[in-house]
Amino acid sequence: MAKDITNILEARGVSKRFGEVQALYKVDFSVRKGEIHGLLGENGAGKSTLMNILYGLYKPDEGEIYIEGKRVEIHSPLDSIRLGIGMIHQMSTLVPEFTAVENIVLGTEESGSRLNIDFSRARKEILELSEKFGLRFPLDVKVKELSAGTKQKIEIIRALYRKAKILILDEPTAYLVGDEFDQLLSSLKILVDNGVTVIFITHKIREVMQACHRASVLKGGRMQGTVDIEKTSKEELVSLMFTGQNIDVTDSALPNVIPEPVERSEKPVCVIKNLNTYPIVKDGIVLKDVSFEVYGGEIFGIAGISGNGQKELAEAIVNPSIIASGEVIINGKTTTNLSTIDIFKMGVFYTPEDRVYEAILPTASIKKNLLLGHHRDNAFLGRMRTLRWNRIKGVSRELIKRFNVKTPHEELEIRKLSGGNIQKVVFARALMNPIDLLVTHNPTAGLDMASVKFVFEQLLELRRNGKAVLYLNEDLDELMIVSDRIGVLHEGRLVGIFNRDEFDKNKIGALMIGG
Amino acid sequence: MNNATSTDKLKQLWLLTRPYVFALGLAFLFTGIMLGLLGFNVWEAFKALITTSFSSKFQIVETFKKFTPLVLTTFAFAIPFQIKFFNIGSTGQMIMGGTIATMLGLGMSSFRVPSALAIILILTAAALTGAFYALIAGALKAYHNINPIISTIMLNFVAMQFTNFVATTPPWQAPLTGHPMSKELPKWMLLPRLFSELHIGFLIALGMVAFVYFIMKKTVIGYEIESVGHNQRAAEIHGINIKKTTLVTFFLGGLLAGLAGGIEVLGVHGRLVEGFAVTSGAEYGTFGTLTALISGAEPLAVPAVAFLMSILLNGADSLQRRLMVPVELVFLTQALIVILVVTMRERFRKR
Ligand SMILES: Nc1ncnc2c1ncn2[C@@H]1O[C@H](COP(=O)(O)OP(=O)(O)OP(=O)(O)O)[C@@H](O)[C@H]1O
Ligand SMILES: [Mg+2]
Repeated sequence: MAKDITNILEARGVSKRFGEVQALYKVDFSVRKGEIHGLLGENGAGKSTLMNILYGLYKPDEGEIYIEGKRVEIHSPLDSIRLGIGMIHQMSTLVPEFTAVENIVLGTEESGSRLNIDFSRARKEILELSEKFGLRFPLDVKVKELSAGTKQKIEIIRALYRKAKILILDEPTAYLVGDEFDQLLSSLKILVDNGVTVIFITHKIREVMQACHRASVLKGGRMQGTVDIEKTSKEELVSLMFTGQNIDVTDSALPNVIPEPVERSEKPVCVIKNLNTYPIVKDGIVLKDVSFEVYGGEIFGIAGISGNGQKELAEAIVNPSIIASGEVIINGKTTTNLSTIDIFKMGVFYTPEDRVYEAILPTASIKKNLLLGHHRDNAFLGRMRTLRWNRIKGVSRELIKRFNVKTPHEELEIRKLSGGNIQKVVFARALMNPIDLLVTHNPTAGLDMASVKFVFEQLLELRRNGKAVLYLNEDLDELMIVSDRIGVLHEGRLVGIFNRDEFDKNKIGALMIGG
Repeated sequence: MNNATSTDKLKQLWLLTRPYVFALGLAFLFTGIMLGLLGFNVWEAFKALITTSFSSKFQIVETFKKFTPLVLTTFAFAIPFQIKFFNIGSTGQMIMGGTIATMLGLGMSSFRVPSALAIILILTAAALTGAFYALIAGALKAYHNINPIISTIMLNFVAMQFTNFVATTPPWQAPLTGHPMSKELPKWMLLPRLFSELHIGFLIALGMVAFVYFIMKKTVIGYEIESVGHNQRAAEIHGINIKKTTLVTFFLGGLLAGLAGGIEVLGVHGRLVEGFAVTSGAEYGTFGTLTALISGAEPLAVPAVAFLMSILLNGADSLQRRLMVPVELVFLTQALIVILVVTMRERFRKR
């Protein structure tokens, strides 16, 4: 086989199996020097697994890896860093209590003697790198106080500081908001101009069309093929990713669903009255005098830049202990002094923003995750406050079927599912019993298009059945597809409410930034 | 899904037990080297360590007698550890339980109530004493965010002083003894024997193993504890009260440690003796902590590991008596096992 010298990185015949799941099967994948290479594929296609193998986190069952034509063995991230591979994971891996400089220097051999780190030299180098690539961030603030977008910049600079020539970005845009994507893109362009190669994982076809030179598509652990972006269309990419499924996409490459006309209930299901909250995190934002109603048969969207009180609003509804004054009224009954379980029993459920840290028990089984929040339902309780595990198991199996969760059985640790399937479990839990109000925060983050469509359909189904949905999402495009009304949060205040016929991206966007 | 052959199953089992086999092997290897360097007969020493417990009826009973409080103090650590809190205070909870048991027993000695009633009363009091004593640390954590490691260690010192006070002060103090101890409890109050020296405390401990298993695996409370252990934030968002769960775990842990104290007083010593919570050179509470760490705090693994630990401790006693090997060497082995189990689990984690 003739060696293609333009391939900086090549994987040949890589397979990886996790128990009963064949995550990758004889995958060939090659990346050219100096390109931005998109990696697409539905949830569970094997994208992260392939990248984790290149980064030395997983050991492949078979297959070979070549860098600049030379066969290499990668046993750990140390090996891959040495070979010039840097990986930016979807979830930040920075130490929250450290500053940007400390995080970047941490664990590098260049930091001089271990006891006497040459910070001034490191700072200079970091500043040079961030100037050169347009990735600016505060050097001396603890990273826990920084936004997801800023943390990502720090992670990229950290990889470059370690002399990475190949950068792997695993879903870098799932938690980016506003113009952060455009910023990221322009930095990536400077990077490739300087000879760095980028592998870019995403679910958003629009981003691939905008950013990448070539893209590869994985499906069910097999490589579907690699295409030149110039010679392809978003329709072709969708059909490569979802062969056999018929998905209609909007211009912004979101699934195109159209809410049908539905009669709105006479009385509101949920009334928020002059709501003021305590902060959830120390010195965090609070809600100030928020009032609005959500009716049955309505999806009420909440727009806003992340961190403007969305989490506080959502949580105040299910956890009145953070309410400082004002009240939440569900079906005519005030929630003051009620516990979360009481509120769930009134027909409310909540899917929180952060899937891994708030929505699930990652190391528990799917079954135990489905039970969470329903664990005091009378249907599951036997004598002496015992849990009726047999019944729970039966219900779990039904839900797995009904929501089409791809898993061998209900006892699997939930973190072993792909993102899309985890979200199906989260929705299955929320919709297990008939509910009157669903509060759902960023339910589509990190989901593939079929799964996004699934989520939209669930929301519309509730609406069709006369239920109320409070839908918080930082992505305005998504909100505008399914919402009947959109309220805008800015610095803890509700600064405007738009009816569907008044939806205007510019007007709403202006309010989001306080205009 | 696919039909697992028996070799597959064996392989699975091997993968699961591999870290423990290596940890035990290495720990004994190091201990052997130490024994050799110190000039002991390594073969004889290991033989004593492992086989003593099975060498006679007496030794079997001794092993069970160690197992009884050990399994209880192991749970005392393991239950709060489910939600990542360290209850280092099982020693304090145990001796508080034993001390209150003695005081109550001596106070009741002149009233002739049925034995069974007296025993039930005293053991219940001991257990509740331990529970409420642990609850202090639990409440300090839940309401003032004070690290239980610190509060439980402090409470251990308080408990030791209290025990000492009772053992050296009339009306409880035994007259004419050098060592601090209380008067004897009347015979009818002591735990009946099953055979030879083995008292029914052993059965009570086994009952408690079943009780903990039931709570942890079958009840809502157990599910809530487990959920908080998996992810506190998610548990809280979905309606689990973290403060309450913290209090419950410390209460349960203290309950078992206090019961261990009551059982030792009524079953072994028949009175309060300073240091009654010590075996083979260290407190049951300390060994319980080690045992819990090795077992990964899994309710079903706890009794098994506690039993192996009892065998080792009993072997260590005889090692000291017969070969004059200091018990500290067995501590070394145990410490090595803990460290190696933790490292080996990491080492063999699947990539
Ligand atoms: N550690 C693991 N143990 C067991 N199964 C795993 C593990 N990691 C991944 N899998 C399984 O392997 C398959 C591929 O997962 P992978 O995370 O690579 O998908 P992905 O393409 O990155 O999906 P997503 O877009 O949802 O992140 C999935 O079916 C997943 O459940
Ligand atoms: Mg992934």
